[in-house]
Amino acid sequence: MCEWCLKHGDGGKWYFNARNYQKELAEETNAVEHLNDILKVFDRSGVTPVYGMKFAGSGYKLQTPIVGRVVKRIINRVLHNEGPKRKHIGVDGHFGQVLPIEDASYIIENLATEPLTLNYCVCRYMCRGEKDARCLIFGVHSEIVDKIPRYIPENVKRPMDREEATRMLESFSEQGLVSTVWFHPVPFISAICSCENPDCMGIRMRHDYDIGLLYKAEYVIQFNPDLCEGLRACVSACQFGALSFSPTKDMVNVDLDKCYGCGNCRNACQHNALTLVPRNDIKQVAGRY
Amino acid sequence: MIAVRKGKTKILIDLSKCGPDGDIDPRNCTKCLKQCDRPVFHLHHVIVDGDDSWDPSYWQVTPVYISQCTRCMRCIDVCPVNAISVSW
Ligand code: SF4
Ligand code: SF4
Ligand code: SF4
Ligand code: SF4
Repeated sequence: MCEWCLKHGDGGKWYFNARNYQKELAEETNAVEHLNDILKVFDRSGVTPVYGMKFAGSGYKLQTPIVGRVVKRIINRVLHNEGPKRKHIGVDGHFGQVLPIEDASYIIENLATEPLTLNYCVCRYMCRGEKDARCLIFGVHSEIVDKIPRYIPENVKRPMDREEATRMLESFSEQGLVSTVWFHPVPFISAICSCENPDCMGIRMRHDYDIGLLYKAEYVIQFNPDLCEGLRACVSACQFGALSFSPTKDMVNVDLDKCYGCGNCRNACQHNALTLVPRNDIKQVAGRY
Repeated sequence: MIAVRKGKTKILIDLSKCGPDGDIDPRNCTKCLKQCDRPVFHLHHVIVDGDDSWDPSYWQVTPVYISQCTRCMRCIDVCPVNAISVSW
């Protein structure tokens, strides 16, 4: 369990706590006001200065060891801000975590508040100019996005029922996309996205700059060398470069430090050599989200 | 993580060619966004007084992840109005 589970998990994982989805919490956290303000300018988040800091062009700074560490600490504080005075600009209180498809489906089937809608992904539009319906959002979040024509996909049923939404999510996972669940704002949960590296801003921030906008899953991959036949199908299934092929050993090498625990490589493996295990059961990566 | 390059890359977009005041609306082009592997660019709207804030109509491209540019120059080759310059 990560820090969010301890604070908002009620004894379990944060995204399995039913309270985090409810309308009452949306009211308590001013979610409507927050989402209204933030969604209007969400596609500007890469170019909007937040507390005087502009992300555009600051990558060099983030990559220099000392300056980078200080800047990252400040950004993380903003992202994880739960205080009543948080501003609704930039991405205050916006935080997500990778999760395997089983957990994502469970949320859609049991916890997400209706109406459930599928929307164009903001990140892909920002990064590629591509309109791709990949983001499942719930409750008040859906009602606000209804006002934003550029996010509403053509030819997609609106709203969807739970079964349709789950099937959508599963088909995305089969295509190799990574499920992520989002606080919007902390601790109100209002979205499950299906992302890829590097077109997702969240993955990008985390993977390239080590900014805590996105955490790795509560799980990590476990590799059984006895079952691996060296077919290498899993290598191209991993969005994070955690798997590579060793011609000498004729099997796959796994870099646990790079594994985000999405579980997508399992779909590619015909020999069940890859399984997910709880992150905290593996000493090497325990507590490292 | 992507290594820091020695010497910073500079990427400029000529807004008089591509952007709200330019000949091309980037939403109809998006070639540089698709061509760049990383991608370095972002497509975003510009806040203009009197515009509909739910459905803005002014858009431009900004190079955001400049430190990740590999200097491959593909964006320059692909831009129909030569709006991009990459230098270091
Ligand atoms: S978080 Fe993922 S799915 Fe959601 S908007 Fe970003 S890339 Fe798209
Ligand atoms: S190794 Fe498997 S579980 Fe880990 S990040 Fe890659 S695809 Fe996901
Ligand atoms: S030179 Fe290459 S890497 Fe750099 S911005 Fe252009 S397309 Fe991207
Ligand atoms: S390729 Fe050139 S014209 Fe097209 S969006 Fe990019 S900068 Fe604008």
